[in-house]
Amino acid sequence: MKRFILFILAITAMLSLPACGGDESGGEGKGLGLVIWHDKEDAVAAALQAELDTLKPDINVRLEKKNGLTEALKMVGNDPKAAPDFYFFAHDKLGVYAEMGILSPITELVDKAALGGFLPMTIEAATYKGAVYQLPIYFETLLFMYNRALMPDDEVPATTEELYSFMASGAGGKYGFIEQHSTAYYSAGWIHGFGGGIVTEDGVPLLDTPETVKALEYHGKFVERMPGESEYATVNTLFREGRAASTIGGPWLVPTARESGIDLGLAPMPVVDETGLPIAPYSGVQGLHVLKVAADNPEKNAAIREVLKLLLNPGIGAAMAKASGCAPALEACYDADDIKNDSLVMMMRQTAEKAVPMPNIPEMDVMWNVVSNLLVDINMRGRDAAEAAADAQKNAWDLIKAMK
Amino acid sequence: MNGKKRNTLSAWVCNIPALAFAGSIVVFPIIYTAYISLTNMNVYHWFDFAVIGFKNYISALSVVDSGFLRALGLTVLWTALNMILQLVIAFVMASLLNIEKLRPRKVYKTLLMFPWAMPGYVSILLWKNGMFNPQFGLLNQWLSGWGSEPVRWLAGDVLAFICCLVVNLWLALPFMIMIMDGALQSVDKSYYENAMLDGAGWFTRQIRLTVPAITPIIAPAVVITLFTTFKQFDVIYLLTQQVGAKTGANIHTVLTYAYENAFVTNNYGFSSAVSIIIFLLLISFALLSKIRRPGNEKNI
Repeated sequence: MKRFILFILAITAMLSLPACGGDESGGEGKGLGLVIWHDKEDAVAAALQAELDTLKPDINVRLEKKNGLTEALKMVGNDPKAAPDFYFFAHDKLGVYAEMGILSPITELVDKAALGGFLPMTIEAATYKGAVYQLPIYFETLLFMYNRALMPDDEVPATTEELYSFMASGAGGKYGFIEQHSTAYYSAGWIHGFGGGIVTEDGVPLLDTPETVKALEYHGKFVERMPGESEYATVNTLFREGRAASTIGGPWLVPTARESGIDLGLAPMPVVDETGLPIAPYSGVQGLHVLKVAADNPEKNAAIREVLKLLLNPGIGAAMAKASGCAPALEACYDADDIKNDSLVMMMRQTAEKAVPMPNIPEMDVMWNVVSNLLVDINMRGRDAAEAAADAQKNAWDLIKAMK
Repeated sequence: MNGKKRNTLSAWVCNIPALAFAGSIVVFPIIYTAYISLTNMNVYHWFDFAVIGFKNYISALSVVDSGFLRALGLTVLWTALNMILQLVIAFVMASLLNIEKLRPRKVYKTLLMFPWAMPGYVSILLWKNGMFNPQFGLLNQWLSGWGSEPVRWLAGDVLAFICCLVVNLWLALPFMIMIMDGALQSVDKSYYENAMLDGAGWFTRQIRLTVPAITPIIAPAVVITLFTTFKQFDVIYLLTQQVGAKTGANIHTVLTYAYENAFVTNNYGFSSAVSIIIFLLLISFALLSKIRRPGNEKNI
């Protein structure tokens, strides 16, 4: 009898497990539930959630932090039972998802005229094969940062040769300038400064073009005066500990640098003497993407439109940009005094005018690794730039062909 | 139906749930991977993929270039060195743990098990940043204290390979020591007493008595470790090849090479074909280890 009761209890427990899966409505209350997957820090999520809560009780939007978001979307992106309704992420993956057919163009859900209020760079980033797949919220790019104790304001280099001279002068026994020199995201700025590139919007690799090779060769002389390692932890720690006078880093470095007691200065990117172009890093636009399975659901379509309409409010863009330390995508946000007076945000906007949006084509997925290997070959293994670039170009083509 | 047949049938019926469970978590993924390898499942045909025959295998053979063969050679060297060092070190450590008058044996055992208790990912990154980092790592702090120049531990191929070997040994030794310790304790002490009466020295006792006695006990652990080491990915990738944190060393195992040349393409058909080729390679090694050699009836 005891065994029978245990058996019944076990079956009951198993049957009740699905109930632990949460409220399918997407949140508390009786309104229609929507789910947004994201991978953002808590402050950004809280700012977004606070705004979305104003849609209650008619629409309950729940933010769900998802580890491995990009891979999870590949697995369940077209499954109405498992897929989220939106995801909040950078624009660089949208080409992959658009090709997979799991994204709905934003232009089918919001008034096209409303998109005219965004900075052109952000809409360019959100566009893939002529369709806009992301509602941009804020963007980030790399900035030239310096430690005023080691690099006074009047010595901040305006050109790359001035930067090199500062590095060569010894910088008081410290590193004059450091960066993640053998990482594609960081080195792309130098390549763009020479008019080169990594890949065209049609998926053609540009690694062996004369401009790119010239940039890699020129960049090499700066690398010789930097530490051999180029990973995030080493570079950022050296800067935060006052062992490097300047760096190129993202907005995420600003709070930790200030906490470390660095008198932090921000300056425009140095201009490459030979070309007259500034170092032009990649920019990443963060925003909301709508899953096709959700947009195609007649019950959810109207609610999705409401959410997108709400996020066109400049107040939200400004709140989220402040929470993330990034710059708002909506031009109207820059009318607010707290945005206008924020030196970090304004410097990011200034740099972003020259920045290049990260390519959002699927081919970029393979290019990150190919370019990193190319940079390692040249900067760490001492290979000839032209020869290494030719090999990398071939490798890039092989991988791009293998994608199809 | 006689009793024997009925017993056999009932045994099979009782085993069906377990077999089905094992089949669903072990066999099904392999079969599904083999199926996907025959399709064009990629970013452009994610949900509407179709069977395309052996095209992916023909493409996958392009991965088997000089770089792949170099990676294969390095993987064999990596596996062999790891196994030899693990067996020797674990044997010595386990023997030391079994010294009769060793008092804090349990404390030593606990300490030796510690690396096993830590997540591998954390351990590897701790080694990378805490020990090998040229700017802040402990090794260079020591060298600096002795007035020596800092060393870029993970930059050169040979040095990086040795560093990876050290980290892998640190991670893997607790398991082998535990198995070896158990095996040593299972050997009847009277054998040693008889051998000593016959005049056998320490070395002779180990070679003639201990090694044959523990071989069948440690054999399954050796086979498991052999395959785990052969398909090693995380130690070499995280220490030297992680995107954004590459160190300059050009060392690849079969898996890290396949990752960089196939898996990043988002072409699941192609990647599955590469996976199946590597799987067949591993199966071949397994079959090779099963071949009975003359005069060696017992095989691992």
